[in-house]
Amino acid sequence: MIFREVEDRDLIAKARRGGVDAFNLLVSRWEKRIYNYLLKLAGNREDALDLCQDTFLKAYQNLGKLDDLGRFAPWLFRIAHNQAYSLLRKPKPESGEAPEFETAAQGGRPFPIEMTLAVTAALDRLTADQREAVVLKIYQGFKFEEMAEVLGCPVSTVKSRLYTALDLLKNTLAPIKTG
Amino acid sequence: MSCSEFDLKGYILKELSQAEACATEAHAAGCGACREELDRLSLTLTALRAVPEEEMPRRIAFVSDKVFEPKWWQAWLNSGPRMAFVSSVMLAAAILAHGVIRPVEVAGPAPALDTAVIEARVNREVALRLDPAVKQAVTESEARQAEKIQAVVAAAEKRFEFERQADRVQVEEAFNVVRKQMTRWYMASAEVGGAR
Repeated sequence: MIFREVEDRDLIAKARRGGVDAFNLLVSRWEKRIYNYLLKLAGNREDALDLCQDTFLKAYQNLGKLDDLGRFAPWLFRIAHNQAYSLLRKPKPESGEAPEFETAAQGGRPFPIEMTLAVTAALDRLTADQREAVVLKIYQGFKFEEMAEVLGCPVSTVKSRLYTALDLLKNTLAPIKTG
Repeated sequence: MSCSEFDLKGYILKELSQAEACATEAHAAGCGACREELDRLSLTLTALRAVPEEEMPRRIAFVSDKVFEPKWWQAWLNSGPRMAFVSSVMLAAAILAHGVIRPVEVAGPAPALDTAVIEARVNREVALRLDPAVKQAVTESEARQAEKIQAVVAAAEKRFEFERQADRVQVEEAFNVVRKQMTRWYMASAEVGGAR
């Protein structure tokens, strides 16, 4: 983990000097995480991929403004968060198509398809803020302080959203056994 | 229903300190409600993590384009930490050079004023500068006085000479008058003596 951070610092420093290859290497390390984060926010692959490209382009243009190189991950996710909410605020055309969350089932996983569908449905019932808190904590492994940095809100708000979401998810995914 | 004083969600999310986590574990070991709550939370997280990350439909890569690449000075200016580092190095070098080049001034009590020395020095300076000035002034004054005296003496001599000439002329005229008178007396006496 330490080596990874040091290498990221080197890549960021090279990219700041205009090294596109260094930045491409940085992109290859983070694109999957950013894409999956955006996929859960946007709800479809096409938007997630566009947002992902926009996120990295914006990151490249603003790399010089990153004060603490060790905070690259929250900084990058903050950009992705802003990009996603810029898109989500725009009115969507009426397409009549269902969200593509179920396409996650195409990945060939060791868990049954029913589990994936149940989780997707449970996540879909959360508010956007609650879902994002769950995604950042459960899927991206951020600490509360980092989540607050990404979301631009106090830690107490982050905890409140996450704990409420966990209660709702728990009632759906791990209901109390009766009888 | 779990015990509210224990943050079970924080525990299951690994956000508690070690002491808090140990206290929660110890409590849950003896509390059925909290143990059940922890089991449900753990099951929920397992279910959530069962959804794997998706592979990207296509990879993202940027192509080097000179038009969009930042200029060297933009890259330099955008590098805030580097500028700060260079600035601090320069400042440190300046402080070091200042410390090396400038001799250390030992701060001590101010020396007591020696009035006798100062007075002697002042007197010496005064004597050194005042005596020549006085001598020069005296010399100049004496010269001016000599000139004046000389002029006055010359004028007096001229006046005396003129008066002496006038007196001589007057004496000669008086002598001539007396001689003429005596001549007349002599003639008169001669005439008187001849007649007898």
